[in-house]
Amino acid sequence: MKLSIYFLVFLVFISFKISHSAKGKEQFNDDDFSEFEEFDDEEEVTVKPQTKPSHTQNENNKQVKEEEIENQQTIYRKLDDDDDEDEVIVEEDDDNDEFSYFADEEEFIGYDSEKVQGGSKTPRSQEEPKITIAKVPLHLRSNWDSFYLEMLMAAGLVVYFLNFVFGKGKNQKLATAWFEKHRALLESNFALVGDDGKPEIENPGLRKESENVYILWCSGRTLMEGMLIELRLLKRQDLVAVIGQILRPSTDQLIIKVNLDEMDNFVFACGTKKAAGKLAKEMTDITTYCPEKKSGDKFGLGAQFVVHSELSEVAAAILRDHKVMAVINKNPELFEFFHFSDQYSGPKQQEEAQPTKLPQVKSTLVFGYNFPKDSLVSDSLESMKPLMQLTLYLIDKLSHLRLSKDAKSKAEKNRSKVEEAFLKATHAARAEMAQSLREEKKRKERERIMSLDDPEKQRKWEEKEQKRQMKRRAPKMKTLKIKPM
Amino acid sequence: MLNHTENKRNDKFKIVRYKPAPQGTPGAPGEDPTTDYMNVLGMIFSMCGLMMRLKWCSWVAIYCSCISFANSRTNDDTKQMLSSFMLSISAVVMSYLQNPQPMTPPWSNI
Repeated sequence: MKLSIYFLVFLVFISFKISHSAKGKEQFNDDDFSEFEEFDDEEEVTVKPQTKPSHTQNENNKQVKEEEIENQQTIYRKLDDDDDEDEVIVEEDDDNDEFSYFADEEEFIGYDSEKVQGGSKTPRSQEEPKITIAKVPLHLRSNWDSFYLEMLMAAGLVVYFLNFVFGKGKNQKLATAWFEKHRALLESNFALVGDDGKPEIENPGLRKESENVYILWCSGRTLMEGMLIELRLLKRQDLVAVIGQILRPSTDQLIIKVNLDEMDNFVFACGTKKAAGKLAKEMTDITTYCPEKKSGDKFGLGAQFVVHSELSEVAAAILRDHKVMAVINKNPELFEFFHFSDQYSGPKQQEEAQPTKLPQVKSTLVFGYNFPKDSLVSDSLESMKPLMQLTLYLIDKLSHLRLSKDAKSKAEKNRSKVEEAFLKATHAARAEMAQSLREEKKRKERERIMSLDDPEKQRKWEEKEQKRQMKRRAPKMKTLKIKPM
Repeated sequence: MLNHTENKRNDKFKIVRYKPAPQGTPGAPGEDPTTDYMNVLGMIFSMCGLMMRLKWCSWVAIYCSCISFANSRTNDDTKQMLSSFMLSISAVVMSYLQNPQPMTPPWSNI
């Protein structure tokens, strides 16, 4: 009698636990029983005994409970074999072990100990409502509202792609507008405007490097190898960059890089404080030849500009030119930087080891301009035309610029100094390289001799080697020739 | 100052074809590491999302692929871009197939 009561209580507890875990939102058991658990809940509904709460008599309860047991057993039989085994064990186990198991209240989590005592009296119906079916978990068929985060993500993606399309279009419009404006000027100055990379030029004109970078290669003019025009526009196609642009505004840029055929020896740079500072830090030739900066005031530019010049003569020649000053001072916000150098080798490399050779240098002029603020507004690009004309003017001027004797000798001295310093610094490295080469050669020779299998030859070679080593180690003494009296 | 057109006619000039600087050289036009970083980041997030079944990781991976695509150069390999996209989309799909629950933000306590 008592045994059956305890057994019932245990069954109740197990079913309670199962329904509770199924109620939890994301407490899906990833084991094999997960599917069954759901069905189980649903089936428990149908199998739930229809007893009324009024039965308090023991006998009635007993009957009810027996029914319950049967029902519960049917439920549990539907579970996996393991459970059946458990059930079997429970049924057959008549020992005291069962009692001790129940007596220990700490064994059961969330189990109300009162139920053990009043197990027989407490109507089953009180616990039945608690064993309600867990709600079927949220599924795609119902309840779209809970997917709000997904909607947000998808909306974000749509916004990103829309921005991509519009930004790309805007950049393209801007680039073509600029090109149309300057086409006439460029075509009158260059034989080749726009190289499309194919062996026979089919589509001359702007070339798209990326959605915000356009390139135009112009060639076929005296005094220079060619001119590379780069339209570095803002990244309007990337939403992240657009947001960054709001936080840190910048402008579209026009970078013109000219490779001259020949040029006198000088290094010169000037520009806004930010641009000039960047150049001074990054460019090898500026850091080597003219790291000190001078304010633009001295040359009539304006306090916001900075000048780096190896030879003051050059700075004066460039900046005190009327035409140059006129153009710059008319629209100072369009002017970003100039970098003219015969020792141009690009930005500094982050090399760890000492380079064994001086970097290759070219005579290069680099011009950096900004686009006007509202570039697509009717004729604001007109204001950029003088910049292109200034560029061509400076190209001609600097190609023909001849330094005075003093300046020339100074420049020569600087360059030879740099070369000497470089050779000294790399002397150790170069000596090491030479040494290793020699050793390599000797090793190869030794291997060759050893592989000959002729002990006589080997011996001879070894002797020769010994003599050579002795000679090298012995102090070099000069032999004096004594004249016969 | 010489007339510009005279420059072209009188003196000898040569036409040099454009040689794009090899990828490694610094200061090449349009050099932008964003594409590569975002590609790698996207792949990492996809793998995280797939292995650890984190939905938000998979979504972030899609975003990384998109950003990488937007910043790419025209001569970049489209295959890599496409594979990155495919990987991130598959990460999202797999996460939802395994667990059709709506996503909970990573900062909320479950």
